[in-house]
Amino acid sequence: MVQLSVQNVNRILHDNAGQRINVLEDINLSVGSGEFISIIGPSGCGKTTLLRLISGLDRPEEGKVTIDDQLITRPDVSRGYVFQHGSLFPWETIRENISSGLKAVHGRHYDKKLVDHYIELMGLKGFESAYPHQVSGGMAQRAALARSIVLRPELLLLDEPMGALDAFTRADVQDVIQRVWKQTKTTMILVTHDIDEAIYLGTRIVVMTPRPGRIKEIVSNPLTFPRDRTSNQFLEFRREIQDKLNFGVAEN
Amino acid sequence: MLDAVTLSKKQRSKAVKQDKAETKYWKPWRTSWNILSLAAVIAAYVENQLVPSQELVNNGAYKWFLIAYFIYLVAVYVIGAVVHGRIRVYGGHFAQLNAVLGLLLIGQDLLTEKFAVIKLPFFVSFAQILDQIKTDQKLLIESTWSSLGLWLISFIIGTLIGVVLGLFMGRYRQFNYWSFPFLKVIGIIPAAAWMPLTMVIFPTSYMAEIFLIAFAVWFPVAFMTIGGVQSISTDYFESAKTLGFSEFQILRKVVIPGALPNIFIGIFTAMGLSFTMLVISEMIGAKVGLGWYINWAKGVGNYTQVYAAIVIMAVLFSVIFSFLNKLQEYALRWRQRSN
Repeated sequence: MVQLSVQNVNRILHDNAGQRINVLEDINLSVGSGEFISIIGPSGCGKTTLLRLISGLDRPEEGKVTIDDQLITRPDVSRGYVFQHGSLFPWETIRENISSGLKAVHGRHYDKKLVDHYIELMGLKGFESAYPHQVSGGMAQRAALARSIVLRPELLLLDEPMGALDAFTRADVQDVIQRVWKQTKTTMILVTHDIDEAIYLGTRIVVMTPRPGRIKEIVSNPLTFPRDRTSNQFLEFRREIQDKLNFGVAEN
Repeated sequence: MLDAVTLSKKQRSKAVKQDKAETKYWKPWRTSWNILSLAAVIAAYVENQLVPSQELVNNGAYKWFLIAYFIYLVAVYVIGAVVHGRIRVYGGHFAQLNAVLGLLLIGQDLLTEKFAVIKLPFFVSFAQILDQIKTDQKLLIESTWSSLGLWLISFIIGTLIGVVLGLFMGRYRQFNYWSFPFLKVIGIIPAAAWMPLTMVIFPTSYMAEIFLIAFAVWFPVAFMTIGGVQSISTDYFESAKTLGFSEFQILRKVVIPGALPNIFIGIFTAMGLSFTMLVISEMIGAKVGLGWYINWAKGVGNYTQVYAAIVIMAVLFSVIFSFLNKLQEYALRWRQRSN
């Protein structure tokens, strides 16, 4: 993948009364290879909707989403998607879950060493034969991440994968994601409502506003790696993003 | 990494098994109850031998039944007292039931055979039923095998039809649109209503019986399967799509395992209906089988034989039930235990 491009996208739904709702309005976004984009905004701003359009799970009513000028019409293994609750198959063990995509694509003779590698990398060793309900939330999310990344997607879409985790586990999974991003150089797009998370991971931060969902601003992250969540630069940049998010207050 | 301390896999599964046994068999081991259960069975034996009978009964089979029961209880008691394993958990839990069962055996023996408070030919002692089973053993074994075979083949056919229809109806709207009305109308008809027709339409009565039993099975299975498929979270379908699953793989890896809990509910509902239909259809059309045996015994007015067949059915159907239960436990081992 060289270029993901979202052009003049509108997502329009109708409520029960037949009223038109603009979930997304005039979205333009262009993402280059190897970037880490954090999309941040309050709930209801359509950030998950945008991610679903990019994955091909949904299609926009107006505008188009393309990768290297190819129109996205349906989900594909080249675009991984990690759901908010992981949605590991509860009837498969951690190992079976992680290999499920590989098995689907390559048949029985998939690369088992690759699976071992990611089990190791994600710190899941010893839990391969456990079922999802038997492991912690953090482990389940790491397994869900492994299940997508093992397919070597050119674009990985992360839909608030840390949303349901406690603060310690969240930091842990963030580090795992960052490590994978650096090692594999996969382009990633993360949807979150956690400012720290967006700043810690993103190379660019997309700030969205709700009703209708619009992109307010796209900010380049000036912080270098490794990033320190408590450094002055981090806190300064955090304040800058915070100000952009306080729409009501800022405009008074 | 926040990794927990892990037990080795072998240790873990052993610990899980022990834990499972303890939540299911929760009554603690009490030596007194185990002794009491042994005493109750001894008492049943002594009572049967010493109290004079009013009815003419051959107690030979009953005697050996009590001896076998006693040996079983002693074995469980001895092992349980020495080894702290699953047998102790199991034996401790059932000691009270075993003690009461011993007393019940004494009670029924006194009421029927010994004092004839409730009388022949409609009420018979357990000793007499066992004796009847012993006398008719060749015929009964033959009948049991025949019934089991008929049930098995019909139940498998009915379940397969139900599952396949249910999966397709749950997954494909178009298919559901055209077939659901038929399912609703045809499925609701009691299988027994077809009996007179099937006996005429099918070339052999065996095929008619298979049809009737399978007919009782397919509807509950299909109905529950549809619900099972429709209750699968869309997240799983969407994950499958982003992971590159084909439609066939979605069916095999998402739809079937996702619907499996409901399929089993359907299978257990169908099981009771299938037993009913098995007995009824054998009573009408067959020349062998437990249902036929009951009908034949009724004809000659030997109610002890009816009881004998009922006892065998109780055992046979319990065995089938626990087998299906084990199968379910294995197939749904991925589910969180809820207790």
